[in-house]
Order: sequence, then structure tokens, then C-alpha cells
Amino acid sequence: MGEMLKTLTRRSFAAGRVRNLIAVLAITLTAVLFTSITTIGIGTEESMTLTMQMQKGSKSDGDFRNMTAKQFEMLKEADFIELAGLRMPVNFLSNTNRHNIEFDVLDDVQAELTFCSPTHGKAPVAYNEIVASEQALRELGALPEVGAEVTIEFTAHNREYRLPMVVSGWYESTSDQLSMMWAGIAFRDAHPDIFQFTYDQDRDMAGTYCSDIIAVTASGLSKKMEQEAIHMGGNPHDMEAENYIAATVNFVTNMPLEPEIAVMAALLALLFVFCCYLLIYNVFDIAVMQEIRRYGLYRTIGMSKRQVRKLINRQAVWLSGIGIPIGLFIGFFIGRAALPVIMASLSEEYANVAADVSPSPVIFLGAALLTAITVFLSTRKPVRVAANISPIEAFRYVENSSGKRRERKSSLGADISRLALSNLGRNKRRTVFIIISLTLCVVLLNCVGTAAGSLDIEKQVAFKIRTDFAVTSAASMNGMKGFVHREDALDEQVIGTVSAQPGVKDGSPIYKNTVEDTDVTYEWEHLVLDEGIVDKDSGLNIRFDENYMYFGTGDDRRPICNVYGMEESVVARMDLREGETDAHALYEKMAQGKGVMVGVDVNRVDMSINADLDMADVGEIITVYKDGKPERELPVLAKAAVNGDDQEIGITCNGPLEVGGNGLYLYLPTNIYKELYEEPVIYKYAFNVEESQRENVTAFLEDYVNNVNPEVNYLSSQTAREDAEKTRKTINFVGGLVGMIFGFAGVLNLINTMVTTILIRRHEFATMQSIGMTRKQLTRMMIFESVYYALGASFLGVVSAALLGVTIIRNMLGSMWQYTFHFTLAPAVCVSVILLIVSAVVPVAALWLFHKGSIVEQLRVAE
Amino acid sequence: MENILKAAGLKKYYGKGDTMVKALDGVDLEIERGKFTAIIGTSGSGKSTLLNMLGGLDTPTEGSVKIGGTELATLNNEQATIFRRKQIGFIFQNYNLVPVLTVWENIVFPISLDGQKPDKKFIMKVAGMLGLEEKLDSLPNNLSGGQQQRVAIARALASKPSIILADEPTGNLDSKTSDDVIGLLKMTSQEFHQTIVMITHNPEIAQMADRIIRIEDGRIAT
Repeated sequence: MGEMLKTLTRRSFAAGRVRNLIAVLAITLTAVLFTSITTIGIGTEESMTLTMQMQKGSKSDGDFRNMTAKQFEMLKEADFIELAGLRMPVNFLSNTNRHNIEFDVLDDVQAELTFCSPTHGKAPVAYNEIVASEQALRELGALPEVGAEVTIEFTAHNREYRLPMVVSGWYESTSDQLSMMWAGIAFRDAHPDIFQFTYDQDRDMAGTYCSDIIAVTASGLSKKMEQEAIHMGGNPHDMEAENYIAATVNFVTNMPLEPEIAVMAALLALLFVFCCYLLIYNVFDIAVMQEIRRYGLYRTIGMSKRQVRKLINRQAVWLSGIGIPIGLFIGFFIGRAALPVIMASLSEEYANVAADVSPSPVIFLGAALLTAITVFLSTRKPVRVAANISPIEAFRYVENSSGKRRERKSSLGADISRLALSNLGRNKRRTVFIIISLTLCVVLLNCVGTAAGSLDIEKQVAFKIRTDFAVTSAASMNGMKGFVHREDALDEQVIGTVSAQPGVKDGSPIYKNTVEDTDVTYEWEHLVLDEGIVDKDSGLNIRFDENYMYFGTGDDRRPICNVYGMEESVVARMDLREGETDAHALYEKMAQGKGVMVGVDVNRVDMSINADLDMADVGEIITVYKDGKPERELPVLAKAAVNGDDQEIGITCNGPLEVGGNGLYLYLPTNIYKELYEEPVIYKYAFNVEESQRENVTAFLEDYVNNVNPEVNYLSSQTAREDAEKTRKTINFVGGLVGMIFGFAGVLNLINTMVTTILIRRHEFATMQSIGMTRKQLTRMMIFESVYYALGASFLGVVSAALLGVTIIRNMLGSMWQYTFHFTLAPAVCVSVILLIVSAVVPVAALWLFHKGSIVEQLRVAE
Repeated sequence: MENILKAAGLKKYYGKGDTMVKALDGVDLEIERGKFTAIIGTSGSGKSTLLNMLGGLDTPTEGSVKIGGTELATLNNEQATIFRRKQIGFIFQNYNLVPVLTVWENIVFPISLDGQKPDKKFIMKVAGMLGLEEKLDSLPNNLSGGQQQRVAIARALASKPSIILADEPTGNLDSKTSDDVIGLLKMTSQEFHQTIVMITHNPEIAQMADRIIRIEDGRIAT
């Protein structure tokens, strides 16, 4: 019998070519879906990890810092460590502008772990050899060439060093902002003065031993590292302790799985399994229905239920055997092609994103397993139906939802649309499944459309830059520095050059105070500050209020605040919320010395004023002190909600935090500002450009900052917009892809049903034609049937999309500041229209392909 | 009496050369209006082919069929279908009811297809005679074979066709039910002056007809 069963399987398999094709397509589609999704998922995870490792500058499992030479020797012996690198930090180089360079002594292991092994040349051997990134070398005015000479300047143990070095090798940098320059052990031995260990006394890093490690196993690593730090005589917990040793796990490498992400992934996987279940279930359900008489016959002549089950299961296995490999193959390439697009949108937050995925067995095994499970689940019911059919029933079988409704109200006539509607009721489960799978596509694409449409590009652009262009010194635009010192000011000459470009208009220089402007201070009501601490970098005395807001303070220990001097056109661009909101009137009053405008950070999500930072009300008097004496009193005339552009530029806000801290943002007219500050410096030059000239100006600036004046940098609304657009592209791409797959599954389901209907009801059609149904009427009936599915799906889809839109989607988008929720059903309606058109075409094509021959032939075939 | 149906020189050949099958080989036939004619013959004698030709379901290789003055060969597919639903009522061996339509809807189906309003009074009368009044809202699956065939008869009568063609209408029924069905068929046809052509292989059933035509090897045997 086993042999016979095999023959039977093979023959039945060969007989149902159309059906098998559809089944293979369904299984392939499922596998494609799972593979592409897992490829994208794992690829994103891998790429993100690598990107973040590159950003963090280490792919180690963890690192130890601030060790002595002896402690480092002990660490190397620890049994849980497989590899330990050596890093002896020196300091950041001081002779840089735009690109920050950290100068350390490394060994080769450490260099490899921290992405700075030379890709050209070799590791440094001689005491005066270094390896650095291409960008670092250019920053120092050298070319990335082995043998190039550079001069490095840095401070260690309060002594300034200026050393000529030779490039032994270089590598491509992964960050625009920062890279590593390193020398070999020989450098340490040649400069014992730099590497004295004084960390326990003065916290100078120079002279400490640091080490990035690769652990034998990641489990329990945090504990082991702590114990090791204690074992070598260090204190890993108290940062203030003399013997403090930092021992931290690299959470970028050993990223804990966030429960939200795990739940989201599981839900998504379930949704996919469900979608594919709907499809494969229908394929097999239909296949079994079509051959129910044959199964009845097999049962009559003595085939057991088990054998019938085996027969169908075997076919499922064969079909999977064809479908799954094809799907895995196609899916991997779709996933890999999609990956860079997705990663590109993350590049705003993570510069120099790495996007790649290896064809890992996890992807294929996972996807194949998921597909197999889906096939198994979906075939259970059809298999049971086929096995349990009694022979007599099988012969009488007319597809109809049996028994429950013996009667129903007759209509006066029997019009074709009603007849079509009744036909849907023949197999309720199948109808429901098709409608649901089409609905999923409508809903999903609408959610995607809503998200993409709600992405508020202009809000993001406006937050970064309110004008077309802004020019600052290179340091101001450096996220690690910002506009802090007078020397970071923008040269007036630059403004002259830029404003002379054709098309430049509304230009306004913006003045801002710096950490050097400690002679001008401010005082307002309710200000209670503590003793404060001295900031080592800026030299400012930083004082805190009772809410832990901190203020940079001046010579008289009053806050120096962040104070701006600007033209009326700049004030006009700002978001005035309270007090005098007419920019012109406000500027007039301020220019006459009658008051000041206060700015408060906005809450980006709802653009409301951030209450925590709202420290002075309209009407309140702010007293200006000069050299410790009250100089004038300025009432608050207006309050503005300030964004990134009003504070500094783009997304950096390091400068204001270094200067005034959380202290008030005060905006003054240029004339008043110049009266108050003895050495007013320009922080940035913001301007618009005639539309026709924008490209030229962009080209000019690009050339200017790169080739003419590297001390200067610029930002344009165009680049800000492009950054924001990337997110939209990703949403559209990924969402569209998934939605399309769902849609394709739904349409495949529909095609399958239509084709089967035509084959299964051939006899019925022939009868109806013989008693006077024309071909046109038959076609119309089938179009009605098919369109009803689409109509049902469209209706359900639009309603669910609307419900989801105003609930979950609104909440989700509402919590992200980049979005402003816009309700839309346009995507749902569009998809519905497409579905309706497709659903009208499918039966026409199916009838044309499968309903051939004369009525007599068809009547005979059926018998 | 006038002839409602006239077939002349009907031939239907399948295949070619040695394998050629002559299903019909020159049949001439005239059917009078209002008569109940039975065509009998053994399996493969060509009687079903003949009925398909008469009903315009199939086209002859040669010869012509005229119903009520209309030459079927001049009609295209679509026209033939429309002609059929107006002029010809069909009754099949396996009833061929539409499973999703109720009895009433099945009966009026051909009329609806023609875009006409059914003559409710007339159809109620037909249903009454066939004993179907109680079953009008039932679905076909819930009816016995005899009941289903009575529905088929009602459907054939509903559009008041010129002629009813019945292909082994009792083939799936037991003898008692067969007698009932044929009795009803004959009675209703007399009541409504219908012409009936019925195929059967059962001589007893054929005995109930006004005229019996025997067909053998594609020719009429007299």
C-alpha cells in the first residue's frame, strides 16, 4: 500500500497542475515574506550593532579603565578574558578645528577592537610613528600617505607638548566628528613624563592603563568584570574613590533585547503567519473540495482515514519542497536589497551607517521553519475534512454551507447580483478568509500612508534651521564643541563674502555671548543658587538652583545667561507666544531699551513651552549687571518658544549649555547687545536665498568651506529636508513592501478562489447557460462575486483603518515629535479602488482561461 | 395541426477517417404543437445528441433545425442562448437546480435572466399542480429527488416556452416517483398546451407519450 500511496500521490500531483502552481506560489510567497522580513530584521540588528560599535568606537565585550601597570598585568591573567587590548590615553589634540582627534598609545589588539587598525601602511613601531584616520590627517594639514609628517599638540600633566610625528599607516574614518590617532608602545617608553600614573591624585587620564576585552562568554560578564576590578584592588562602584576603576560591559555589543521590541516582533510574526495561513488554508481547502469525490471513492474502496491524510500531507510536503527553497532564495535578495534603504534613514542619528547582512543560516532556518509551520497549520482542517468525508456524501457533495438554513425568503426575481451574493455564502469560512486577507492589506497600507503623511518634514526642518542657509565657524557646528569661546566667532569677512553672492537676502548676523563675557550678568526674581562648582573646561562657575537647573555664572556669581543680539528679521522668524507678539512693535520697543524677549525651550512633541525651563514671566523685571553693578532694568516684553535654530544651529545645542546652561535665553536687538557687551562677537550668519540661486549658493558654500576657508561650516534647509525625507522613504518602502506582500497574498487568494469556482461549478454554469444564461450574464455574475469580496474587504478595511488611525496610530505618532498626526483614508481608498479593479478583472480572465468549450462538453465533463 | 419543430437531414459526425463516429446520420423529424413525444433508444444510439441539436445546445455537422419558424443555425451563440430561455424549456436527468437559489427563485430564474417580470399567478398555478406551494422557500438540497425534478418541470414551464425538451427526466428516480413525475409532466403540458419532447430508454415511460420515435445508430427507426 505504501508504494501504491506514493504512486497515487505522484499521479494526483501531476494531474492538478494549475492547483499545484497556485499552491507552490502560495508557499513561495510565504517563504519570501518570512525570509525577507528576517533578513531585514537580522540585517538591521547586525548593521545597527556594527554601526553603534563603530560609533562607540569599540566592538569589544567590555572595557576596564584607569588601571595601573600592575593592575593591567593582573587583568591579562584573568581566566574569563580571551583577549585584552592595551590603551594608554594621552589627550585630545589641541591643534584641530572641525575634526576631534584623540591621541592614545595602543597595542594591535586594542586597535583592532576599536576600529583603528591601519588599512594602508603598518602599525607604528618607532617612537615617532603614528596611525591616524584619513580625516584626522587632513585636519592636521597632511595627506593620507605613509611617511607623511604631522605635528601634534596636546596637554598632559599640565604640560603642553608639540611633537613632530611620521605616519606609518592610516585608515578610513567612520565618524566626521571624531577619530583616533595612535602611537605604539615605543612612544610610551620614549616619553615616561607623559605616562606617569597620577590618576588617583589629579584624575589625569595620561598614564592610566585601559583595556578593551573580549570575554570567553558574555553570560554574567558584568559581575565577573566587577569582581575582577575588586580583585585587582580597585573600586568599580565609587567614581570619587581614589582607586576607582571603570569596568563596564559594552552594551552595544551585548545588547539586551528590549521587551517592547520582542513583543512587537512577535506580534508582527503572528500577523504574517496569520496572513499566510489564510492563503495556504484556502489553497488546500479548495484543492480538497475539488477532489472530494475522489477522496470519497478512495474511502469507498477501502482507504483508511490515515491513508487519506497521508496522501494529502505528502502532497503538502512536496509542494513545500518546491516552494520553500524558491521563496528563501528570492526573499533573501529582497531583504538584502531593502536593507540599505532602511539603514539610510537611520543615518541621521548614526553617521556612517554600515549596512550589510550575511546569508546566515539563522535567517534561512528560521524562515523555512516558520513557513513549514504555517503550511502545517493551514493544512490541518482541509486534511481532516478530506479524511472524514463519508463516501456517500462525497458523491452528493455540492459546496454549500450545510443544513443550518433550510429556508429563506425568496425574492421576487432572481437577479444576478443577488445570486452572486448567495454564492459567497456557500463557503463562509473561505469568504471570511479572503476578505480578511484583503482587509489586512488595506489597513496596513493605510497605516503606512498615515505615518508617512504625518511625518512633519517642515517641522523637523524648521526645528533645525528657520532660514535657507546658516553659516557659522566650524567649531560651532561641531556637536562636541559648539559656540563657546570668542575665538569660535564667525569672521565678518566671511559674512561679507557670503552676502555678496547673488540671490542672498534677509541676511542677518546673530551675536551671542561666550564664556569670556563674564562681566555682564543677569538677575531675576525667585533665583536661588547654591555654591556651585568650577567647570574645568570653560572655567565658569556653575551653580544650581533647587530644581537642579544649572547656570553658568560670571564674575559677580550671577548667571551670564545665553544672550543673543539680532536684527528684526530674525525676531520676526521666531515663534512669539506671550506678551507682545507683533515682531515689529516688539523690536521697536526693545531697540529703545524698553525691555527684552525671553526664549524658552519647546516640548518638541506638542510644541508647547517647556514648563520646567519657564523661569521668567512677561512683565517680570530682569536686572542687568555690568562688572557687578546694576546697569539697567529690562522688563520681559515677550516670550518665545525657541527651537534648535534659535539656540544654536541644527541639532547641536552644546554651546548654550556650556555658556549659560539652563539659564535664561535672552534675545536683544543688535544695538542694545552692542551697548552691553564690550567685545560683541558674531555667532552665525543666517540668510535666505532667491530660489533660482539656491543651487549656486550651495555649490559656492560647499567649495568655500572645503577648499577656501575650512574654519567655516554651513547648514542648509535643503540638507535638513533631505535628512527628514529619508525617514519617509523608509516608511513608504518597508510599509509598502509588507503591504504589497499582504495585498499579493490576498489577490492570489482571490484568483485561486475564482479559478476554482469556475472549475468546480463548471456543470452548474453549463446548466445555467443551457436554460438561458448568456455568457455575458455568467461573466457578470462572476464579476459580482469577485467584486463582493473586494467590496467587503474595502468596507472593512476603510472602517478598521479609520478606527486604528484615530486610536493606535494617532497615539503612536503623537508621542514622536517628528510627526504631526494627519488623519487620512486616501491610501485605504486608493488600495480599495485597485482591489476593486483587480477583482473585476480576475474573473473575466479566469473565465476566459478556464471556461472553454461548448455547453454540451461542459455538461458531459461534469458528469 | 401545425408543426412547432422541424428538423431536416440532421447529421452530427465526430472525428475523421477511420475513427469517425456518426452520432446522427440524417434525421428528419417533425413535431406537432401540443403533443407529447418520446424518443427512445439504447445507450449510444444518438438520442441525447439529437436532443442537444433540437435545443440549440450543439450545432449539427449538416442539416437544419427550425423551431416556430426560427432556423437555429442562423443564430450566434448569444442569440441562441436568448432564444433558448424564451422558447425552450429544459429538464435534465440530474435536475440541475442552482443550489443557492430557493425553489421559487429557481423556477423564475430563466425569466429573470431575460429581464422579465415573472407571471406570478401563472407560476403559482404551475407550482400548485406540481405540489410545490409549501416548498417555494426551500433550498434544493433539502428536497427529495422527485421534488427537485418537479421544480425543474416548473422551471421549464415558467417562461411558457414553445417546446419543452426533457433528457431522461426520470433517470435518477425510482419507478413510483418516475410515474408520478411523468404523470404530472403530461398533465401540466395538456393543461398549458405545451409541446414536450422527452428522451428515455425506458419503454414503460415512453408508453405514456402520444407518439414514440425510436432511434438506432443515429437514424430514426420506424
